[in-house]
Amino acid sequence: MRIEPRISRPAVALIAAVVGAQPVFAAGGDDALFTFFQMDQNEIRVGEHNGYVAEAQGWVGTDFHKAFLKTEVETEFGEGVEVAEVQLLYSRLISDFFDAQAGIRYDFEPHTSRAYAVVGLQGLAPQWFEVDTALFLSEKGDFSARVEAEYELLITQRLVLQPLVEVNVSFQDVDELDIAAGPTSAEFGLRLRYEFFREFAPYIGVAYERDLFDTADIARDHGEDVDALTFVAGIRLFF
Amino acid sequence: MVSLARFARSAAAAIAVAALSFPFAVAAETYNLSIGETTLDASGTERPALAINGSIPAPTLRFQEGEDLVINITNTLDVDSSIHWHGLILPFEQDGVPGLTFDGIKPGTTHTYRFPAQQSGTYWYHSHSGLQEQEGLYGAIIIDPVGREPFRYDREYVVVLSDWHDSPADDILANLKKQSDYYNYQQRTLMTFFDDVAEMGFGAALSDRLDWGEMRMTPTDIADVSGYTFLVNGRNPAQNWTALFEPGERIRLRFINAAAMTFFDIRIPGLEMTVVQADGNNVQPVKVDEFRIAVAETYDVIVRLKEDRAYTLFAESMARTGFGRGTLAPREDMTAEVPDMREPPILTMADMGHAHGDMDHGEMAMDHGAMDHGPMNHGDMGGMDHSMMGHGDGGGDPFYAPGSGLAPTAANGGRFLSYSDLKAQKPLYPWRPADREIEIRLTGNMERYFWSMNDLKYSEAEPIRLHLGERVRFKFVNETMMTHPMHLHGMWTILDVGAGKWNPAKHTVSIAPGTTVYADIEADAEGKWAFHCHLMYHMATGMFREVHVVRDPETASLDQGDGHAH
Amino acid sequence: MFSTLQYSAATLALIASIGLGAGAVTAAGDDDGHHHGGDMRMAGVPGHADEATRSIEIAMHDNYYEPETIDAKAGETILFVITNHGSVVHEFNIGTAAMHTAHQEEMAMMVDHGVIEIDRINHDMMDKDMGGGHVMSHDDPNSALLAPGESAEVIWKFTEARPLEFACNIPGHYESGMMGDITVTP
Repeated sequence: MRIEPRISRPAVALIAAVVGAQPVFAAGGDDALFTFFQMDQNEIRVGEHNGYVAEAQGWVGTDFHKAFLKTEVETEFGEGVEVAEVQLLYSRLISDFFDAQAGIRYDFEPHTSRAYAVVGLQGLAPQWFEVDTALFLSEKGDFSARVEAEYELLITQRLVLQPLVEVNVSFQDVDELDIAAGPTSAEFGLRLRYEFFREFAPYIGVAYERDLFDTADIARDHGEDVDALTFVAGIRLFF
Repeated sequence: MVSLARFARSAAAAIAVAALSFPFAVAAETYNLSIGETTLDASGTERPALAINGSIPAPTLRFQEGEDLVINITNTLDVDSSIHWHGLILPFEQDGVPGLTFDGIKPGTTHTYRFPAQQSGTYWYHSHSGLQEQEGLYGAIIIDPVGREPFRYDREYVVVLSDWHDSPADDILANLKKQSDYYNYQQRTLMTFFDDVAEMGFGAALSDRLDWGEMRMTPTDIADVSGYTFLVNGRNPAQNWTALFEPGERIRLRFINAAAMTFFDIRIPGLEMTVVQADGNNVQPVKVDEFRIAVAETYDVIVRLKEDRAYTLFAESMARTGFGRGTLAPREDMTAEVPDMREPPILTMADMGHAHGDMDHGEMAMDHGAMDHGPMNHGDMGGMDHSMMGHGDGGGDPFYAPGSGLAPTAANGGRFLSYSDLKAQKPLYPWRPADREIEIRLTGNMERYFWSMNDLKYSEAEPIRLHLGERVRFKFVNETMMTHPMHLHGMWTILDVGAGKWNPAKHTVSIAPGTTVYADIEADAEGKWAFHCHLMYHMATGMFREVHVVRDPETASLDQGDGHAH
Repeated sequence: MFSTLQYSAATLALIASIGLGAGAVTAAGDDDGHHHGGDMRMAGVPGHADEATRSIEIAMHDNYYEPETIDAKAGETILFVITNHGSVVHEFNIGTAAMHTAHQEEMAMMVDHGVIEIDRINHDMMDKDMGGGHVMSHDDPNSALLAPGESAEVIWKFTEARPLEFACNIPGHYESGMMGDITVTP
């Protein structure tokens, strides 16, 4: 089950990824272009926050070379967009289960817009943990990191419980963002979905977000909540 | 099989109406076929499909051994198409693999194939373009021998098995690429975990889950695609394809697995079947209660129907995702009981190529004592030791890993055909030791859904070069957890079943997970040939090679096998 | 005189039991002509050369006979001259369908134990004691077991008008069609 990704033609593949699909045919064409898009979170949150949250990722590419898009949007009813983040990455398969990724991230919100360089690893770890890790370097020279892990617990063939954890870390204080060095925030989610189809899976669940350590202290100083428990309901989409 | 097919002689057109039993018996030497669009309602929904002369399966072509064939194929689609003559020995330019042996048949054009029928038996034909075969472009070929058939039977029926999907084949592939277990609705769940705990205790159940979790693989991964409706001669189980007989008759059934992705376990409850031909070549008759037919294989069996009653022809998919069904009956509208499907197989660590708990992916191959004996045993076939033939590891089928979860057993507890039962009736080639051995490791990436040989996809690999006249031994090592029916075009694959000169010549050899299988190739056909896994989505995603048979041995010696050092 | 090229003259007394399974065993020396699956006399009795009124040549091929039909009269003795033109071992055996069915199990056992191989017969193993005094011999007077290229004669007297078959009971051969019909008319 060992694979040896070939270094050849990543640029060509990426251009092909942008230009369009090539046909699959029997003798050859095993390097055809495919696409993927999934909204893992597409939900209304109610509780200590009330708003709409979307988290999606998609790709266009071949087995070894892909162009990846990851995006996250959080809105607060009555307040507008709280978080809006887009990542555009080149993704290369480097082992049976993992892709190395590099590219840019752009945050439209919160506060001021900001660009980052991104390097990361995304894939499937032993025991079926889907992990996505990334290191970010902002245009201001700040380093931060994010680790996400989720698990798909099949209760039946179609009823799936998905625990999720995301931890953000900053390697220095970033005053404009009210962030202190160290772990800054974490999010825990537990979503129970029913897959009528792979493409369409309504779900309910809970999400708990919390600022951590010194970052939490900053929030407290500002008189803000440091955590928020919300109930979520949404529809996971896949196409 | 409800079709009207036209076979026109170059001068006078002849029209043959499809009869249920002998669909098309035409002595003409020119055949006209037309590839076009149609619709098929196999699952209760009318879906777009592809057909030849409006028929799914395509019309059965009946040739005479020695006949010089002229076959005109008109492509009325708006995309390229092609027809490959599966198992036929012919000049490579006539083999019908677009991009390799010809340019394909362009939309709106007619391509003429010309080649002599130089063999006899049951074969089939299908599109080799894109994923068209899945959508209906497949049909049977019968070539009658010059002399008499070395059997006695009163009637014969072609039984074309196939798997129909309501989704277009391109969508299926796209879904597999997005999520490789998209179609697996037989996953292990919390519920099945509780069952396992009840059965084996919490510790063992957890340990088993962790073992598979460590590999990130699932033991219920038997078939990549589910949602198929299984067809027998184009009829779904409810439509119940029926073959008529008179009590007391012998019937020859020519089974062809034209499915894209599905292995079938075939039985006719109440009847013993005598296997007389495999992949078009007669074999020494074997009486069995059940047999497994890999994708692209053919088996001819003779059954004797002594009683005045109906019999169900039952073809369960190997993953037990469904079944094909037909009936053998003395009169129309008679049916017999349709059995329940058995439990799906569960892969074991043996299928992963290692003993339970051993996570070493390095050495997955398991050589079978029964097959892995050197040339010295072959010389003296008179002294063939029958104790080798599968009895060595407790009577298990040597073509499955010892302890395999895939190894089949007959539903009635009787005999299940093994490759080791297959012995050539008349060997096509005298036995001789191979000039060299080429290792073909069957590899792939389950999670990302692409497949390869020796870790290289077709697009990454050099052709395998053979030189004309040599005998090459292919050592197939299946390092994946799937079963791969490997098909070499243009030349016979002489499967080593441990029977020396009696080893059967096949066109498709199925390699089970965790096994090593040897087969000899007599490189007697110059040209560029396709060599691939016949699971459609494995072939399309890289498990494909060109095999170049060249006259100049110096050119051939430049490359051994893949020619890649890695 | 009704010996084959391979065997010493067979007599009824030499009908040895072949089956190793306890159930189907007839004791060696049981000379009443009983055979598994039926009384051999249902098919007729061994004939004598001087009684034979005609001879019929039977060609064995892989896996069929030429001819495939024979007509005989009750009371008639026929000399069958059988030649194996094939490349594998074949049998010529006169009997009822039930006799053949029973005999097929014995032949399967002989193949399983290596007494009969694809293209040769291990005569030395036939005489070997397989335990319990049973030997795997094949020398019934109504039959001939021939390796490729071998010939044999069987002289058989048809006694009663009934349908009979001649058959090769090597596993699978009968079922795939290596059998012929004998019509015995009064």
